[in-house]
Amino acid sequence: MENIKLKIARVEKGLSQQDLADLVNATRQTIGLIEKGKYNPSLNLCVRIAKTLDRTLNDLFWN
Amino acid sequence: MDERNKQIALKVIAIMYFLTYFAIVGILLYRQFVLGQELSEYEDIGIILTINSLFLISALLYFGAIPIRRLKVKSIILIYVVLVVSGSLFTYANYNIFQSPGLSYKQLFDKFIIIVTITGIIMGFWILLSILGKKRLDKELE
Repeated sequence: MENIKLKIARVEKGLSQQDLADLVNATRQTIGLIEKGKYNPSLNLCVRIAKTLDRTLNDLFWN
Repeated sequence: MDERNKQIALKVIAIMYFLTYFAIVGILLYRQFVLGQELSEYEDIGIILTINSLFLISALLYFGAIPIRRLKVKSIILIYVVLVVSGSLFTYANYNIFQSPGLSYKQLFDKFIIIVTITGIIMGFWILLSILGKKRLDKELE
């Protein structure tokens, strides 16, 4: 299932997928796949993304 | 490499490892049964495969990939018996069915003693690794 919340949070922060990837030490492809719902990130990566986007895990990754 | 790349790389490496392993087993069987080669001509490959398998299981046990539960003596004895019986059957078939002349009963018994001893040593080593691995994990949880 697509992760629209993550995409919205990233866009609101003015970050491209590449920008976010660089900040959380991942690749653009990984961020893209997370947003498409085709890759399940580890908890570590989820936390790094949440911190970078100033959101909680709940906001981004839970329904 | 990010976590996804690492995951993919590890999956690919694991699959290729097992494909290579089974290909080598296939080569061994081909040499033995199709080409009819002597044991001395391919036993070096067999030795490498055996050592490889032992190390693989040992690493899986030590690092906790094989779940370490409370060791039940009955299960250990059962596994030991199964290994000894299958090793003995394989040895008997190898020498007395696929080769001729076969071994005498005394020679078969000598082979059986070796199987019993070596299986016991290997299982003892694996039990020790399981215990050490569990202690290592418990220490990490402190």
